[in-house]
Amino acid sequence: MALLRRLALPLIVSGVGLVLAVWVGTQELDSIEQRQLNGATLLEKIVEHLELAAAASVVVVVLAVSLGIVLTRPGTRRLAPAVIAVANVGQATPSIGFLVVGAIVAGIGFDRVLLALVAYSALPVLRNTMVGLQQVDRSLIEAARGLGMSPTATLLRVELPLSVPVILAGVRTALVVNVGTATLATFVDGGGLGDTINSGIRLGRDTVLVTGAVLTAMMALLLDWVARGAEDLLRPRGL
Amino acid sequence: MASFISYLERRADHLLELALAHATVVALALLVAAVLGIGVGVAVRAHERSAEAALAVAGTFLTVPSYALIGLLVPALGLGYAPTIVALAMYALLPILRNTLAGLRSVDPAVVECARGLGMGDRERLLRVELPLAWPVILAGLRVATVLIVGIAAIAAAVNGPGLGEDIFVGLARIGSASALNYVLGGMLGVVVLAILFDAAYAGLARITTSRGIRG
Repeated sequence: MALLRRLALPLIVSGVGLVLAVWVGTQELDSIEQRQLNGATLLEKIVEHLELAAAASVVVVVLAVSLGIVLTRPGTRRLAPAVIAVANVGQATPSIGFLVVGAIVAGIGFDRVLLALVAYSALPVLRNTMVGLQQVDRSLIEAARGLGMSPTATLLRVELPLSVPVILAGVRTALVVNVGTATLATFVDGGGLGDTINSGIRLGRDTVLVTGAVLTAMMALLLDWVARGAEDLLRPRGL
Repeated sequence: MASFISYLERRADHLLELALAHATVVALALLVAAVLGIGVGVAVRAHERSAEAALAVAGTFLTVPSYALIGLLVPALGLGYAPTIVALAMYALLPILRNTLAGLRSVDPAVVECARGLGMGDRERLLRVELPLAWPVILAGLRVATVLIVGIAAIAAAVNGPGLGEDIFVGLARIGSASALNYVLGGMLGVVVLAILFDAAYAGLARITTSRGIRG
């Protein structure tokens, strides 16, 4: 039962994929649709999308976790509320704005889109990391210091392990946000499945539009599912 | 900077118009999501498994990228207002539903028992005891949902929808010209200001609508 529940999402997503494939397969495709909906093109879009989202997530996690650690040390801790407040406002800023500003300031292409994705998703992950480190019980840190651990050892052996669940949740957030924002990369020539959705809308081809949208949704749900599994596996024992 | 400020002055009327349309779309979506979220929350509050299933479905909506979700709704609902409002309502559902459940569950069973003892029926108890006590938590959920969808609503412009996203896309179309950045920043600033105004409105709303007995 537990296993069935765990596998429910990938099973449903595969089912949806199958329905999509059969539906597209039975459509009479015109030449415009054929150009968009062939295996090679779609695979290219999927790979572009995954590359963007994965690269941005890796950069963001490394950046945000280290910055989060720096900003919760005794000397810099006073800055934390301000950073969290900025992060909260940043959440309301539209992602498409980040992409377009990035394109205007830095130009278009993979690297530039990556930069915009990182800028947009860094704040939520940073916020998560800082909140996670802050909520580690002060008395545990005192205890570790009392046992003779140095501040560095306390950080590495007590604070970080206890913050792992929150940091992993941040990774998952980054992944979901980046897959979503990467869908908008199409507007600044960044590629990805947004291209397929966009062509569908601009050319008035619902088959193309639906295929792009369903594939994007499937990818987001599967990545989230994998990240959730990783969260369960990597959680330190004892928590 | 100076050119941006003079740009804002020149474009104020238009930005105000876009902000109004933006706020309307967000408010309509919130209304739909609130009715659905609170309604479903009330209906499933006593059934652990249905509650879990409802949360899982709402969580799934939130995972689907916004452009994909709006895109999926276009063949059925056409371009413009309709797919935008439906998609935003789907995103707003999770925080509202989650907080409705949490709020209703945080009501002290002794209080509910007491209401029953006073002779209140199920319906009366829900409307006069449980929901008023859960309201601050539900309102917090609405607030989270609002900040979330104010930002997402900017994508609506990609499907000819209304709102401040329009200026972001105008800026995109004018890349290379000097005014492009002004358009984009104007649109983004509008969205952030709108989010802050909504948030302030919630603080006021919380004050007015919280039952007097539990007002802090």
